[in-house]
Amino acid sequence: MSELLDIENLEIDFDTQRGTLHAVRGVTLSVAPGESLGIVGESGSGKTVMSRATMGLLRGKRVKRRGSVRFEGQELLTLSAKEIRGFWGTKISMVFQDPMTALNPVRRVKSQMSEAMVKRLDMPKDKAEARALELLELVRIPDPKAVLDKFPHQLSGGMRQRVMIAMAIACDPKLLFADEPTTALDVTVQAQILELISDLRKRLGMAMVIITHDLGVVANHTDRVAVMYGGEVVELATTKELFTQTKMPYTEALMSSIPRIDIEPGQRLPAIAGTPPDPVEERVGCGFAPRCKYATDKCRSERPQLVDAGNGHLYRCFFPIGGA
Amino acid sequence: MPWSTREFGVAVKQGRSISFYLASSWLGICVFMAIFGDMLPLPAYDEYTDDIGVGLFSAGHIFGTDLNGIDMLSATIHATRMTLVISFTCVAISLVIGGALGVIAAYWRGWVDSVLSTYFNVTLSIPNLILTLVLVAILATPDPSNPGQELSRSLVIIISLTFAIIPILGRLARSSALTWSGRDFIRVAESMGMKKRQIAWSHIVPNVIPSLLSVGFLAAGVVIVAEGGLAILGVGTNAGESWGSLLASKTSELYDAPHTTLVPAVAIALTVMSLNFFGDYLRKRIDNREARI
Repeated sequence: MSELLDIENLEIDFDTQRGTLHAVRGVTLSVAPGESLGIVGESGSGKTVMSRATMGLLRGKRVKRRGSVRFEGQELLTLSAKEIRGFWGTKISMVFQDPMTALNPVRRVKSQMSEAMVKRLDMPKDKAEARALELLELVRIPDPKAVLDKFPHQLSGGMRQRVMIAMAIACDPKLLFADEPTTALDVTVQAQILELISDLRKRLGMAMVIITHDLGVVANHTDRVAVMYGGEVVELATTKELFTQTKMPYTEALMSSIPRIDIEPGQRLPAIAGTPPDPVEERVGCGFAPRCKYATDKCRSERPQLVDAGNGHLYRCFFPIGGA
Repeated sequence: MPWSTREFGVAVKQGRSISFYLASSWLGICVFMAIFGDMLPLPAYDEYTDDIGVGLFSAGHIFGTDLNGIDMLSATIHATRMTLVISFTCVAISLVIGGALGVIAAYWRGWVDSVLSTYFNVTLSIPNLILTLVLVAILATPDPSNPGQELSRSLVIIISLTFAIIPILGRLARSSALTWSGRDFIRVAESMGMKKRQIAWSHIVPNVIPSLLSVGFLAAGVVIVAEGGLAILGVGTNAGESWGSLLASKTSELYDAPHTTLVPAVAIALTVMSLNFFGDYLRKRIDNREARI
């Protein structure tokens, strides 16, 4: 299979004062061209660290990276900061979480949008500005001409996120990372933005990785979903499979903690008891075992491996829901 | 203003106090005097008039004359030019150099930052006046084998004071650039594959400039005072060329004609106060603006 992005056995460790923090523990994932992959997990599950490391944004003396990340067959982990810059924007691009802080407050939308095109694609300035206008139309901003001449603080959060998306796709990337692209937005705007990203992906043929803690987000906008827990992928399946044939108790617990319209008023929302595993401690057994209602002694003493249920549905559990 | 809040329908009225208007008018007068001072219908600054040592508000000499009969008003006006030139040249050069060094230190970090920060801190640890005194001594000492080749006095003063001001502005630029380089839009620019140099220039510098400018006004005041101090110590510009040296040259007349020191001293005080007011006003505007973004 010719994959666009191939992550193999990626491990990210941070040197901290408490000891080595294992943020990502051997993740293997791949993204095909044009595919949309969702990565779901709670805070501290390693999803953001993984995506930043994949992009090569994480580097430094205290970051240990092992494994391999290949983009179109090219290894990214060993590239220098200068070399990897050639990939950013034109091949891999990112939409950030908070549009309120992701735009430079002292520069007009026009100059910020055209900047990357002028500098990266050697476009003449007037052409870049014309393209900026097209991009704003593409992300469905009303009255794009007027918006071009505005400063970021004159735009609403949803508008700014649209501008951010337009900037991210300005140089025609093949892969778009969206790290919680809607977390900072109103619920009503969230749906619009997600709809927009999905639509753009289909029209431009980009592959996309959506990182989120919200299962509702991935349900409608991804082809496959990886569930992360404690720095590991615990379940990976097509979106439909994941929701209908859940194998991993953690995924089940996540789903049951989504507020539903049919629960009785006043009824408590089921939450997952306990806290995520300590990333510094050595892990014995399954990371989810202490919080899992099905856990046995085996779960607490042995490390489960990723198992394929056939049809590419992977899970990391000795006692999957619905049997092996 | 581009960052006016009218768009939000919330009027955050910038209260411009009376002190702002007083300060800016005084600074305006100073600039006018510096440019057109010599064309005013007054006795020449070096003309010995027949009225010797007359007091303030005398006929024909509103600020009186000194014991040589020189009109104090025209002497003070004449000295305005050199004072402003020294102060603004120093600040302008240090704004550019200090600002650049500060932004580089903050955005590149690592050993670059260590080297530059050490330089800033070492220079800052030496008292301003002593540092400039040493620099003036080094730069202005005539070469015995080649007399007449030393730099002009005012140039020496400008170089020395610039050197003393650079670390002040540099450290400020560094701290400001540090907060800005931690902002998300810098990450965004990086994730678009922009070069560090481009990001520093087009994203960090425009954000650092406003706060640097407001401190620049305060620094201009500091330079005027420091230059006066140097003059009193006898290493200032040539007598009467700037307010400081005018003041210094008149200290011998303090007993017989005290108003001759009073006039330049008041000019210095008013200017420094105005610069501080102006800097504070800018500071407030910037704080206001940054609170909104």
